Amino acid sequence: MATITAAARTMYPHDALPDDVYARVAERLAGAAREDSGAARTIEDGVSALNGGGPFAELPGDEQLATLKAIEGSDFFELVRSTAVVEVYSDLRTWRLVGYEGPSFDKGGYITRGFNDLDWLPDPEAAS
Amino acid sequence: MSVQPDGHRAANRFAADDSDVIVVIGSGAGGGTLANELCQKGAKVVLLEAGQHYQPEDFINDEWASLNQLAWLDARTTSGSWRIAEEFPNLPAWTCKAVGGTTVHWAGCCPRFKEWEFRIRSEHGPTKGANLLDWPIGLSDLEPYYDKAEDRLGVTRTNGIPAPPSNNNFKVMGNGARRVGYTGVSTGRMAFNTVPRDGRPATIQDGFNYQGDKQRAHWSTLTTEIPAAEKTGRLDLRPESMVIRVEHDDSGQVTGVVYVDGRGNEQRQKARLVCVACNAIETARLLLSSASPLFPDGLANSSGQVGRNYMRHVTGAVFATFDMPVRMYRGETMAGIVTDESRNDPGRGFVGGYYMQLHSLGPSFLATFLSPRAWGRDFAQIMEQYDHMAGLWLVGEDMPQENNRVTLNRDVHDQFGQPVPNVHVDDHRNDTAMREHAYAAGESVYGAVDAMRTFRVSPYPTSHNLGTARMSARPEDGVVNEFGRAHDVPNLFVSDGSVMTSSAAANPTLTIVALALRQADYIEQQLKAGAL
Repeated sequence: MATITAAARTMYPHDALPDDVYARVAERLAGAAREDSGAARTIEDGVSALNGGGPFAELPGDEQLATLKAIEGSDFFELVRSTAVVEVYSDLRTWRLVGYEGPSFDKGGYITRGFNDLDWLPDPEAAS
Repeated sequence: MSVQPDGHRAANRFAADDSDVIVVIGSGAGGGTLANELCQKGAKVVLLEAGQHYQPEDFINDEWASLNQLAWLDARTTSGSWRIAEEFPNLPAWTCKAVGGTTVHWAGCCPRFKEWEFRIRSEHGPTKGANLLDWPIGLSDLEPYYDKAEDRLGVTRTNGIPAPPSNNNFKVMGNGARRVGYTGVSTGRMAFNTVPRDGRPATIQDGFNYQGDKQRAHWSTLTTEIPAAEKTGRLDLRPESMVIRVEHDDSGQVTGVVYVDGRGNEQRQKARLVCVACNAIETARLLLSSASPLFPDGLANSSGQVGRNYMRHVTGAVFATFDMPVRMYRGETMAGIVTDESRNDPGRGFVGGYYMQLHSLGPSFLATFLSPRAWGRDFAQIMEQYDHMAGLWLVGEDMPQENNRVTLNRDVHDQFGQPVPNVHVDDHRNDTAMREHAYAAGESVYGAVDAMRTFRVSPYPTSHNLGTARMSARPEDGVVNEFGRAHDVPNLFVSDGSVMTSSAAANPTLTIVALALRQADYIEQQLKAGAL
């Protein structure tokens, strides 16, 4: 769990995000492992390899990065990465961090909440 | 038609052996529109749709959750040199599996084809590696139906419908385009309401298009054509009905279809005529799957062109970061267009033209598509610029090629035990040259408004699938005639983008609707004349 969480953070490092966001990746993969014995083996072997030089989660950042680079493109790496890119960037905390407000229908859309509030350029329609 | 306690009308049900009905397969832009037209004209229609019947309130404004709800995710395979085969090998296209088809998730861009885009063989001349052919019809044949389609769809800037207002993302693209010297810069012709119309409200600029339109401001067959058809009492809509075979008699006339219903049971529906509108991948697959001793290479395939000439447009995207906030996600996603490059000027190093159209993604899709498989701190820092980012999409004519084709992959089977479609695409030299030009043009647009950094985004699965049952004047060159009627099978029609002989640069929905309206008039006339 801690290994995958740390690997996900190394892949998509946003320092302001709590570990909980990255733990989503570990949870999702734990679920995948329960459903698919092939995935379970890939994950188990991959986690063991990451921890080969001591607990991955406790390595300094540059060593974590080097360890992941060494397995980039492997099935395990791609499984973690493809899961992480979905989980991390679908999290409300990430949305807040990057400035995305998400669903607006229940708030009446953006029509009175800034859909056209950019003020550092003129309205190109008005110029036509 | 009876009313159930929950207020929903129970569906009309025609008998399985009622050989007087018209079966339409697929309820999207082509099939949904055609079904409604035929019902309005007095015909009995069985509309078979593989997907479920969602309502706008069911849509989910979350990119991945919505994809899992609406997208066609049945097994498919890919091959060829296109990047999709490497990056998204099981998702060659992003279409919908739901009542309403892909109209459920479209953004609404409605350019018309240009006159020369119907006759690319004459315009471009013989082109190595491409299988160019002129349509059997031209712009003048379609113009009355474009007029009708624009009124039906409520296209802005037509029929007195006000233009969409500029949103933040458009302010960036529009100003950049004007500074570069482009003049065809506007918020575009869009099939969403800017004022209440046709019983649907004006857009509240909620920022979600590709996830289904909860606000009902966009035209879709789900919210317009299909309810209108139901009101006639002559529509029998059957969701969760996956057609696996079109059947025929010894004379080669189509007699009906076999489909798997929502409970997994095989059903047979007789028909007077069958109209196939399953989107270009599934339409070709169904014709190929319906092979028989009489039609050994697939139904209506004496030309060998079924499944070939698959086109998906030359696409790509350019995103850019700025030192000031943009918030591209607010407002109608694609309400902006630059038309200057949509001309045929071989001096640019390629034939055909392309549009730049406004485009935005939420963080979860952007992270997946911006630079597939990218990771690390640089990537994360780009993502932290999300609210300072603007985006545009490039869409241009691609070359029909015989070997860009849909075939049956007999090594892989879907949940119905049927061979899945394989989609093979190699980029044509012309496609590659156009894409490079378009990327550079997009970068210059953002450069002109002082972008900090620009990103070329490679083509991802899109919703435009065309050409796999193309129209031709001569039966040996294509699959259907100018009305979408199969050359080989007189009571079989194709009613979606599969019939397009060229892709043009234009987003295809408006043209698909115009062709469906024209086809409906033809079918009515043929029925009256006793010729069907």
